[in-house]
Amino acid sequence: MNAEELIQINNEKRKELTKENKEYYEDMLVYVRLSYDKSEQETEEILTELLDHLVEAQEEGTTAKDVFGQEPKKYADEIIGELPKMVTKERMQYFAMGVLYFLASIAFLNGIIKLFSYYVLDIEPLTETYYLGSLAFKTLLKIVVAFVLLYFVVKYIRWSSFKRINKVAEFLLSGLIGIIAMGVFMLVIFVTPDFGPTVQISFYVTLLLGIVLFFVARRVRKINS
Amino acid sequence: MSIRSQLLKGILEGCILAVVERQTVYGYELSLKLQDYGLSVSEGSIYPILLRLQKEKLIRGEMKKSSTGPNRKYYYLTDEGAEALDDFKVNWEGLKAPVDRLLHKEG
Repeated sequence: MNAEELIQINNEKRKELTKENKEYYEDMLVYVRLSYDKSEQETEEILTELLDHLVEAQEEGTTAKDVFGQEPKKYADEIIGELPKMVTKERMQYFAMGVLYFLASIAFLNGIIKLFSYYVLDIEPLTETYYLGSLAFKTLLKIVVAFVLLYFVVKYIRWSSFKRINKVAEFLLSGLIGIIAMGVFMLVIFVTPDFGPTVQISFYVTLLLGIVLFFVARRVRKINS
Repeated sequence: MSIRSQLLKGILEGCILAVVERQTVYGYELSLKLQDYGLSVSEGSIYPILLRLQKEKLIRGEMKKSSTGPNRKYYYLTDEGAEALDDFKVNWEGLKAPVDRLLHKEG
């Protein structure tokens, strides 16, 4: 059984838990899953085992606290400490997949928005002139910003895993960070001068490129198993 | 870490190998077996040990259908595991008698 199947079964089986046990278990699940440098297969296997155990214990009237202890974070850290690391090949696949999905969504969204502007709003031409040098530079920068953002999001979720944080404060804070990040994106795009050779690309091509990249990214993930 | 949990860690590894040698078990089953033998450890404490034993290739896990239906990960003893268990038995025998003597006959 591969990791994807295990995740699906886990999602179903989790519904059998009582509210209290579910909260405890899901905190651990998120925290352990986001220890991103661990083998995905091994991570999902141990999470399945812990869940199976908890479901059986629950039938006997035992709670998650009885089974895994009073300190879920400490227990989760112990589990993470023993999990084998992701191998380099798996790491590279994840990285490539992430980049491809990201590029796919940029190309796809760009295509959609520009086609909309051309046909519905009638404000833009159907083809755009791209400067390959600045295009490459901007794309690279976007990838870096996206990864930095992702890194902090993961950090934050792990940090907040075992805490009950005020939802409103969390929403406002994440909104603020989102706006700042978007601002940085926009700024970079505006201040980068045009350089390099030029190409004319129709937005149909951009859209198609987005779709192709999406399927390539999917394939990269499938190679894994 | 308390003395008890430090002591237990190594011993528990040996005991888990001994259970797995007798029959293949899945996690929950293993915790029941240990309790049956009177080893009162917290149930969850077996999982970090199971992971470590797998990493050291002393046991291996395999997802299999169980008699009650769902897929479970069953643990098997490897050849290295059998050797490690033999080592543990020798070490344990060497410790058990002197420690008993020390604790009960002196003072």
